[in-house]
Amino acid sequence: MSIFGEPMAPRYLLWLIQGFGVTVGLSIAVCVAATGFGVSVCGMRMSRYAPLRAAAAAYISAIRNTPLLVQLFFWYFGAAALLPQGLVGWLNTPHTLDLGPGRLSWPAFETLAGFFGLTLYAGAYIAEEFRAGINGVDNGQYETARSLGMRPRLIYWLVVLPQALRIAWLPVVGQYLNTIKNTSLTMAIGLAELSYASRQVETETFLTFQAFGIATVLYLVAVIVTEAAGLAVARSGRFAWANKRS
Amino acid sequence: MRRFVILALASFLAAGAAHADRLDDIKQAGVLRVAAFDSNPPFGYVDPDSKQIVGLDVDYAKEIADKIGVKLELRPTNPANRIPLLVSGKVDLVLANFTITEERAKQLDFSIPYFSSGQQFIAKKGTLSSPDQLNGLRIGADKGTTNEIVLRRDFPGATVVSFDDTPFAFAALRNGNVQAITQDGPKLVGLLANVPDKENYEIPPFTISNDYIGVGIPKGEKRLVDLVNETLLQLEANGKAAAIYDAWFGPDTTQPLPRLFKIGDKQQ
Repeated sequence: MSIFGEPMAPRYLLWLIQGFGVTVGLSIAVCVAATGFGVSVCGMRMSRYAPLRAAAAAYISAIRNTPLLVQLFFWYFGAAALLPQGLVGWLNTPHTLDLGPGRLSWPAFETLAGFFGLTLYAGAYIAEEFRAGINGVDNGQYETARSLGMRPRLIYWLVVLPQALRIAWLPVVGQYLNTIKNTSLTMAIGLAELSYASRQVETETFLTFQAFGIATVLYLVAVIVTEAAGLAVARSGRFAWANKRS
Repeated sequence: MRRFVILALASFLAAGAAHADRLDDIKQAGVLRVAAFDSNPPFGYVDPDSKQIVGLDVDYAKEIADKIGVKLELRPTNPANRIPLLVSGKVDLVLANFTITEERAKQLDFSIPYFSSGQQFIAKKGTLSSPDQLNGLRIGADKGTTNEIVLRRDFPGATVVSFDDTPFAFAALRNGNVQAITQDGPKLVGLLANVPDKENYEIPPFTISNDYIGVGIPKGEKRLVDLVNETLLQLEANGKAAAIYDAWFGPDTTQPLPRLFKIGDKQQ
């Protein structure tokens, strides 16, 4: 602790670690959900049906051209005002589900709004990364497969998509890294993640440098580990084989 | 010779001691100089019509000047120069929403408190009536305030959700994301005054911590302290203190706040 100056009482360290746990949990949930959602939006964006394409394009442009902070305020403060009072009340009271050994508790409304807002945001970017991946596959690949007599659907599954995924993978990892950092904005809607916890520790202890210093290091760890894992996937197995070939 | 010097010195010191009595100085000058805020309504602010400094603090200052039987002279001040004005002798008293703290009491003396602002709550009508209920609630607070710290320390069962400022916390209350929000009473009253559907909300009449406001008096002026305290207690006894309070926080004002503290009450 010496490089951080005066040491911090264990209970404040615990707050930071709990905050970090929320950041990691939220990031993973958002990345998983946003990937699935992004693939669907990408499918819509490249659909042969014009209304679907238009809807996806409108969604992507609305999300990418407005600040994330405003979107989070919208989902937490704005959308909640539109929902029926009874539903908001239900969402805000704790609900637990007993699952034999464990117990599943319903997340707080801040968590739901944060998860929802971040997923919609990251989903729009991930959809565009996938679309860029698909567009990045040379048209000759499709034509060659077609001339060999493969059916279009099969060509997509076996020829285009695997290559598209390789092209899109590292940019998508970049969006995962952005998501980890973007979770910090949810402190504005009262979600007790790492930034919120560090601010809270700072308020109580006045150990400004230590509180934000530890938070910075924890963010750095999360981002570096994710980036390393992303690179490891990119260099492994069929990914690596394909990369060497291309 | 030596005896003469000691005698001279002694008489000088005695004269000095007698001279240090500020109350006599004030009476002799015929003027009580008081530092008051000029931009902190309703404690002390410049009235746009009369261009004079008015407010709750000023009303008390007038009563003290009347009691001594001298004219009142107001000096505008701000939180930063309240203490320097008093310590350097530029004013005789400070009545500027001056919170009594141990730290300040090292540099000056305080009267007994004449006003208290406490940490209070806004909740939907009928949902919150006593501090015991707080432990089960989700409560909105302002980030970085002592309100947040007090709440977490004294009500560990409450879920504290902190927002960037009070209007955000209030938006969360309106949405039902929190069941109450907390801040200092006078601030909550000001906030509620501007809410369109304010009839749906209330400020339950209890506080969970209190700041006491007193008159700042130069250090060591015992007679002046006694006189100020006596005046304040008299004002409470003859109902004038309640009248002054009502003029600024009463039911007919734009920001009514129930009077929970009376002069002479035991401090919590």
